[in-house]
Parts: sequence; C-alpha cells; structure tokens
Amino acid sequence: MSKKYIKFPFASFVVLWMLISFFAGDVLAASASTPAGQAEATFRLPQYEKFVMKNGLTVYLMEQHEVPLVNISAAVPAGAVKDNDKYGLAFLTAEALLFGAKSFTKTQLEEKLDFLGTTYYTNVDGEMARLTASFANKDVDIIMPILKEILVDPIFDEKEFDKRKKRLMLELEQEKEIPGQVMESYFNKFMFGEHGYGNPVGGTKGTISAISNEDLKKFYQANYKPAESVIAVVGDFKTPQVKKMIEKWFGGWKAKTGEGSQGAAEKPLPTFAKSRVLLVNKDDATETRFRIGTLGIKRSNPDYVAIQVINTILGGRFTSWLNDELRVNAGLTYGARSNFAAYKTSGTFYVSSYTRTERTIEALDLAVQVLERLHVKGVDAETLVSAQNYIKGQYPPDYERLGDLANLLTDMFIYGFNESFINDFQENVEGVTVEKAKEIIAKYFPRENLQFVLIGKGSEIRDKVKKYGEVTEKEIKAEGF
Amino acid sequence: MNLRKSMKLIILLMLFTSLLTAQTKLEDVKAFTLKNGMKIIVLEDHSIPNANIYIFFKVGSRNEYTGITGLSHFFEHMMFNGAQKYGPKMYDRVMEAKGGSNNAYTSENLTVYTDFFPSSAMEVIFDLEADRIAHLALDDKMVESERGVILAERITGMENSNFEFLYEQVKGSAFLVHPYRWDVIGYESDIRNWQKSDLQTYFDAYYAPNNAVVVIAGDVTLEKVKELTLKYFEPIPARTPPRPVHSREPEQMGEKRMYVNRNVSSPNVLVVFHVPQTGSPDYYALDMLDSILGDGKSSRLYKALIDEKQLAVSVFTYIPQSLDPHLFHISAICAQDVSEDILEKAIYEELDKIIKDGVTEQELQKVKNRKLVGFYHAMETINGKADTIGSYEIYFGGYEKLFNAPAEYRKVTAEDIKRVAATYFKKSNRTVGILKNIEEK
Repeated sequence: MSKKYIKFPFASFVVLWMLISFFAGDVLAASASTPAGQAEATFRLPQYEKFVMKNGLTVYLMEQHEVPLVNISAAVPAGAVKDNDKYGLAFLTAEALLFGAKSFTKTQLEEKLDFLGTTYYTNVDGEMARLTASFANKDVDIIMPILKEILVDPIFDEKEFDKRKKRLMLELEQEKEIPGQVMESYFNKFMFGEHGYGNPVGGTKGTISAISNEDLKKFYQANYKPAESVIAVVGDFKTPQVKKMIEKWFGGWKAKTGEGSQGAAEKPLPTFAKSRVLLVNKDDATETRFRIGTLGIKRSNPDYVAIQVINTILGGRFTSWLNDELRVNAGLTYGARSNFAAYKTSGTFYVSSYTRTERTIEALDLAVQVLERLHVKGVDAETLVSAQNYIKGQYPPDYERLGDLANLLTDMFIYGFNESFINDFQENVEGVTVEKAKEIIAKYFPRENLQFVLIGKGSEIRDKVKKYGEVTEKEIKAEGF
Repeated sequence: MNLRKSMKLIILLMLFTSLLTAQTKLEDVKAFTLKNGMKIIVLEDHSIPNANIYIFFKVGSRNEYTGITGLSHFFEHMMFNGAQKYGPKMYDRVMEAKGGSNNAYTSENLTVYTDFFPSSAMEVIFDLEADRIAHLALDDKMVESERGVILAERITGMENSNFEFLYEQVKGSAFLVHPYRWDVIGYESDIRNWQKSDLQTYFDAYYAPNNAVVVIAGDVTLEKVKELTLKYFEPIPARTPPRPVHSREPEQMGEKRMYVNRNVSSPNVLVVFHVPQTGSPDYYALDMLDSILGDGKSSRLYKALIDEKQLAVSVFTYIPQSLDPHLFHISAICAQDVSEDILEKAIYEELDKIIKDGVTEQELQKVKNRKLVGFYHAMETINGKADTIGSYEIYFGGYEKLFNAPAEYRKVTAEDIKRVAATYFKKSNRTVGILKNIEEK
C-alpha cells in the first residue's frame, strides 16, 4: 500500500524500499477469495510434505512448478532474544556462517554461488536466524551440500570476523544518521526493557567491540540444533529426489551441546502503569518520526486474524482512518499506519508516522484521537465488510513467490501455528461481526498508558511533548538505544 | 508485491530473458490497439485468483521545465483525488471495498498506475480508471492538502538518505541541458508554487489514451479484457500527441567535481559517467559491465574495495532505464578513517583494469547465469510479468523485443565490454560528488 511514491532512478532504492516497507507486511497475510457474495475462488496452501528426521530436524517440501527455481530456507531459533547482554551476538554469528566451512573459504563460496546466479543470505531478527538460498533447479545437487556445510560445518574464520566487525562498527554509527533505520531499535528497547525482545539486533558499538570470534562459536554451539530447527524446500523439483538429498546431507547434523536452549531464563515482560515519552534528539532533524504504542500479542494468538481485520480499518491500508486523517485530510505526512508486530511469546502494537518538525504536535494529537475514536465509535458494518474484502482480496499475491511460501512454512514451525492460518483464513476473516469487533478492540487495542517514541529536533519539541507523559531524552549520536 | 524488491534488482531482472521463451511464449502475450490509440497488452495467467492492470503514461520529470519541476509526480498524486463519477476519496474507497489495492510511481520517463485485485473485481477497476483518465476533477482543497503530503515526502526522502541528498546535486551538475538534471520530486520552491492551472495544462497535454500503454496480467481472459476496454477505455477521445522532448545533453568537456556538506560519519563518493539510453547498441554491453563491477560479493568492486582493500563499507553500481542518454553510476561509502580520495582512486584502478585487460569468459558467463535466474524471479509473480512486458514495450520499442534479448546478450563479447569501458569511463566524461562533514573556515 505504499502508494504514490516516486520511483527514483537508482540507489535511492534504499529510501524507496523504506517508504514501501513502511506499509508492507502489516496488512498481514490475508486470505484469498473473491469479494463476499460473488463466485468464490478460495486460495489454499499448496500441498506439501512434512517430516521429522531422526536427529529431530523438521523438514517441509512443497513442489511448485511455475518457474524453474528452487528456494531453500532454514530457520533456527537463534535470534537476538538469545543475546543476553552481548547485543549483536546472534547477528554476527549468522553472518559468520558465510565466512567459510569445512571444504571452502569465504571467497570460494562467493565465487561459486555468484557464478550459478544464486541469491543467498543469512539474516536475523529478534526471534530467529535464517539461511536462505534461491537458485536454478538444475543446480539443486550442487547447492544442497554447500548449504549443509554453511549450516552444519562453519569454520568461523578469524580474519573474516575481524573484517566484518570493523565494518559493523562504522555501520552502527551510520545508521544513527537515518532515523528510519533506528526507530525499531529505540522502540523495542523502550517497550521491552531488559526482556530479550528489547535487544537491538545489530548490537551497539560497545557490545560489538567486546564480542570475540570465540563468543560466536559458543553461541553457535549453544543455539544451532537440528531438533529445534526447520528447513523448507519450495520449488520446481520432485519430492522423492529432494527428500533423499535432505536425508543424505542433513541426516548427520548433530547438536554440539545438549538439547534445549542454553540462553538465560527469559526475563519478565514490563507493564506500563503510566504514559512515557522517549525523545531522541537529532539536532539537524527537519522532521519528527514517531511511534505510539504498547505491548501487543504473540503470533499464535487465536484472535490474530480478527485483530488484523480491525487493524486494517485503523491503519492497515490507504483508506485506513489513520492514513485518511493524517495524510489525506490534513496533509501532515506521506503515510500513517498501525501495526501488530507479533513474536513467539509477545509482541508490540504501534501507530507510526512522521511529519515536519513544526507540525509534530498536530500529528501526534491527531493520531491519538484516531485511536480513541476506535474505542468510542467502534466500527460500522459497511466499513467492516470493506476491510474483510480488502484483506481477502490482497492475500493470494502474498504467497506467489517460492520464498514467500518457504518463509511461511518455517514461520509456522518457529512461531507455533499451522496451515489452518491459511486454509481457515477466509472463515476467520468473515467471522468478525460488529459485536466481535467491539470485543477485539476492547481487548487488544490500547487506550491508556500509551508509550511514545519520537526522533526529532529536541529544541523545537521538548517542552510541547511533556503533555503526553514522563519524558526521557537521549541523544541520537549516543551509543545504544 | 514486486515493489518491495529493490529497484536495482527489478531492473536487472527485466533485462535478461533467455528462458522467457520457455516459460511465457511470445504468442502467449496478446496485444491490440483501441481506436483512440491506446495500446492494450494482455497476458493470461491463472495461477492465483488475482490480476493486475499497469497503465504506463509516457510522461515523467523529463517532460518538465524549471518552474514546474516535480509536477509529473504531483499530478500522479492528484489522479487519486477525485473525478466525475467517483469524487474525492471514492477511488480508493470503492477499490479497497472490492478487495483491490493500488499504487503508482513517477520516474524521469514515465508515470505508472497499478491496480492489484481479485479478478472478480475487474469491471469496477476499469470503471474507476476510465473515470479518472477521462474526467479528472482538480479540487482546490485537495490540491493544497496534497502539496503538504509531497513536501513531507520530499523532506523524509532527504532526511533518511545520504545518497538522495548527494544525488540530487550530482545530477544537477552532470546534466547541463537535459531535464534529467532535477530530481523527480522537484525543487521545493516549485512544489510550493504550482498552480491548479499548471496541473490542468499537464493533464491536457499528457493524459491522453494515445499517450498510454496498458498491460493486464493474471486471472483474466483476452475476451473479457477486450469487452471491458471497448466499453470503458475506447470512448475516451484521443488528443494531439504531446511535443517531444528535444533537449539533448551536449558532450561533457571535462571532469566536474562537487562537494556537499552534511554531518556524516564517513564520506560518501558518487561517480557518474554519461552513457547512451536503454536499447541503444552499447546498452547490453554496458548492462553486463554494470553486473561485472557491482553485482554480488564476487563482483570486481565489492571484492576489491570492501573485501580485499577494506576501503569501503558499501559499494554499488547502476544504470537506469531511460528514454534519453543517462548515467552509469558508481557509489561507495568510505570505511572508518579512509579518506574519499583514496577510495575514489581505488575505484578508478578497478575501471582501468577492465579498460586495459578486459574481463574473463568466466565473468561473462557468470553475468549471463545471474541474469537468467534474476529473470525467473521477475516471472514468479503476475506483477513482475506485467512490469517486464510494459518496460520492454516502452524502453525497447516493443514487448516483442523481450524475446530477442537472449540473442542480444549472446552477441556481447569480452572485447565489447572492454571497448565500452574505454569509451565511457573517461575522466572528461565523469562527474564526481563527495558528501562529507566539511568545516567552514
């Protein structure tokens, strides 16, 4: 829904991606079908085979023959939540998987995979580490053993670690120049406090400088275990053949330490008895970027779909109330939205937008008013049906790509939901009545004790934002979040 | 969906097509032209119960002049703010209530409107599009509110990207004459001062059916599309074709250098060279050169600057699709405590190696492999298909050219790569921009 943006020629794709991703994802994976009352063409999850290997590794195989490609996605519950106080440890560990393995160096790996046109990367979020590769189906027998070595036999090359660490130190400084890149870290820290979901994924300069290559090895041994991990293969292949390959290459993967997480016990989630404001001062800012929110839901919440229907109305599409008021009516911003970010054991809810400095208070007031309106007025039947049609109509393209399907399968395993999310989606969307909507709003959408995170020019807004709650101030250039 | 990919990726994807013939055949793509000159291209694809419509208007910032810079993009926004049958806000409300969503983008060359919908909603989509193309209403209040949105868009773009901040000024130096010299978003003073009459003039000049190409891909039938385009699009009258852009950038007569002051932790370097437009004889060789230099961790610049010499923390190269001659871009950010002149020199060393020693057969083959897989990725989605077909129609002079591209790439030799590197990577042909923290003395 990132609508009406400029297609910049060239590398401004960074900004472009940001503007787009501003909306991406929050309209959730809605379900497929046609608008109510018309001929139905329900979208269902394509058939797949699931099995658990002797070493406990869970495997999903799904054939899709439209393009001659294969996507392999492996997920391990080794995200930033396991960092403890060494922020960035999970992130660097996943990066280091690509620094060489038993039978190839980093350079050899890059030459080989690039030559074949493979797209490959590791990435980490709060919850998990993921290894993904996408390539031509004719190369599956070359790629599979390479991926196995990356995941199972990494050598943690010391020299490459030093190079990456040095680069990361500068990147951590540079990201502070771009408010849009650091908002997530400030917000999560402010919401979750000492709980692991508050850990900044990429670390801070202080924590990264203290992390050694040995730390990575230990983290890997403690957290990369077949019995807790999942591999999904989606694409143009024959299941029996790939099943044999998976068994051959991944059957020998053994946990390096005992089963079970070696991380510290999960810290308790905070509760908020009052409104608070975090003001991150950026002296040369020309706009204020903000989030207003509180803690939300976990991904396996049975009301997940119903919540998304209501959120579509509040801030999940172009005609949502937030975007309509802040952008269309008031011309305050390029976009305003709301979102539930849902993890395995908790999550956040937030309203987010940005506006030029002098209109900060106007935008914040309006955003709070729109949220209040949801509680006071609720949603009417016509708006509800519109949102239901929208969420159903926009659903199938979310699972058009092999990579989308592979991520869905691995997410099911990591977050603990199943394909009824897809297959019952339509039913769950349509099951939201005006009455049910009231309950969902009261139960899941916050009204009091809102938490505000603002990045902007402190000298212009410092005094005016006191009205929202107790203000804490940080300098954007200061280390950490 | 495909919009979430980086633009760089999309553009790479569009340009290689060997197996398009294996997956989607020339005869699968159907085209016809309405009496008013609007060209319609249709690709049936029933893999999901959804379809899209891409409407390409041949107007972008290259059609502007000083005083109305950014107007193409502003106009794009106004296309969502009310017409005759569907008044302000109704376009989005009606479409979303039927399960559809939409987007649009403006580039230097084109303004593109895109709708994504369950195929059962197709008729209302045609009705909505025809209403705004034929009868756009420019409401005073909406003009003012949209002006605010665009100022916010400009500010957030500059605030959140060092590159964007630098690029606006480098383009302004590299182009002396051609309207590519300003950014698509336009100058702030122009944004603040457009009049409604400027918008009306623009609409009359460029938003004619004979200045548009329409691509529809997905769960539709040719027959149904024909029926709906005859009913909704054909009655829109043709207009006098717009005046062509006649400004031509003269040959650059010497290196240009410029500095931009911003409080950044390490300098950003942007080097651009003038190159011919998309579809020109050297285009395929330049496109492959771009990949050899910057695509993947084994590419020349990544390997030399980031991995081996550790002079940069990021580097990328790019050639945009363009109707008129544009630029070959090389952008890099200095590593900690590396000065911009050391990094700049190292970039030129890599370019000189290609000019002197050429590239290997292995590198050529790698690029071909990468473009092929990239192309499959574009073809994974109905949106990738529509966008690729439309881009070939506009930039290469016909969607049929998509099916000739494999032969064009096969023709490129290592010698061609060496030759284009020597031709365009000349000092006198380059503009260099440095973004850094500069102390005033």
